[in-house]
Amino acid sequence: MELGDIFYNKAEYIETASGNKVSRQSVLCGSQNIVLNGKTVIQSDCIIRGDLANVRIGRHCVIASRSVIRPPFKKFSKGVAFFPLHIGDHVFIEEDCVVNAAQIGSYVHIGRNSVIGRRCVLKDCSAIAPNTVLPPETVVPPFTVFSGSPGLYAGELPECTQDLMIDLTRNYYQHFLPIAQVA
Amino acid sequence: MPGAVVCTEAELKGDITIGSRTVVHPKARIIAEGGPIVIGESNLIEEQVLIINRADKTAPEPVTMEIGVNNVFEVGCHCESLRIGDNNVVEAKARVGRQTELSSGCVIGSFCEVNSKEVIPDNTVVYGKKCVRRVQGERPQPQTLQLDFLMKILPNYHHLRKAMKPQSK
Repeated sequence: MELGDIFYNKAEYIETASGNKVSRQSVLCGSQNIVLNGKTVIQSDCIIRGDLANVRIGRHCVIASRSVIRPPFKKFSKGVAFFPLHIGDHVFIEEDCVVNAAQIGSYVHIGRNSVIGRRCVLKDCSAIAPNTVLPPETVVPPFTVFSGSPGLYAGELPECTQDLMIDLTRNYYQHFLPIAQVA
Repeated sequence: MPGAVVCTEAELKGDITIGSRTVVHPKARIIAEGGPIVIGESNLIEEQVLIINRADKTAPEPVTMEIGVNNVFEVGCHCESLRIGDNNVVEAKARVGRQTELSSGCVIGSFCEVNSKEVIPDNTVVYGKKCVRRVQGERPQPQTLQLDFLMKILPNYHHLRKAMKPQSK
C-alpha cells in the first residue's frame, strides 16, 4: 500500500541541509535549543517551545499541523525547571496533538487530537489512539495502544510495528513533495 | 518585576486589561469583541488558548468579561465564560461556554466541555469522557513558581508587548 503524494507549496517550507522540512507558518520558539536530526517534516501551525527547555527530535519524524510540543516542567524543592524533551526516530505525531511528555521513544504513533499529559513517558513502538487524554506521569509500555480519557491500556501492537513505522514515516517523507506555486 | 509578560506573538484584540505577574504565552488569542476583558493577576495563559468575549446580538451593551487571579489556562482550551473566579485550572483542550461561570478552585479537565447556564461551585473537578463531577478537598495550588520561572526566561526568547498607558488605546 503506497502512500499518495502530498504536495506542499515550496515557498511555504524551509528545507535544511540535513533534509528537515519545516513549515514557515509553524512557530519554533527558541530554535537554538531545538535539534532536528534529519528528514523530519514539521507541518504548518505547529508550535515547538524550545525556549522552555531543549527539544531533541529524531530522524524521519512527522509532526502534523497544529500540534504543540512543549517540554514538561517539574517542581523541585528548590524551585521549578523545564525538562528537556526527547523524541525518538520515526515518530508520527498527528494533527492537533498536545505533547507535554518527558520522553517519547522511537517508532511511536500518536493519534490526532490527543493530549499527552505532563512528564509522560512513551516507550518505543507504542501507539496512542486519536482523542486520547493521557494523565500526567503515565508510562506507556512498548507495543501497547492507549486510548480513552483517561488513557488506559486498549490493546497490543504486533512485533512488526517497528518496521511498519519505519515504512510509514519514510514513505511520508518521500511523498512529501514541493510544487512551485504558479504565480 | 511585577508587570505582566505578554509575548507579541499572542493575538490580543479589543479592550483588554491584564493584571501584573500574568504570563501570556505566544500564540494565545484573547479577543474582546463583545466587550472588554479584564484579566487579574498571576494568571497563566498558555499557547493556542482562545479567550473570547463574543459579540452577542441579543445584548446590545458590551458586557465585561472578568477573570480572577491565579488561574491557569492550559494549551488549547477555549473559554467564553463571562466570569471566572480565582485559582481555577482549565486543562488542555477544555471548553467553557458563555453561560457558565466558574467560581474558585475549579478544575475543568482535558477535553471536557461545560456549557450549561450555571455557576460551578467552588472546588469542583470536572473530568473524564462524560464530564463527571466531584468536589475536591482543597483548591489547586497557585503556580507562582512556574510563573516566576517563565517571567525570567520568556523575555530572553520573545519580544514582549509593552504596557500601554491607561488613557490611550
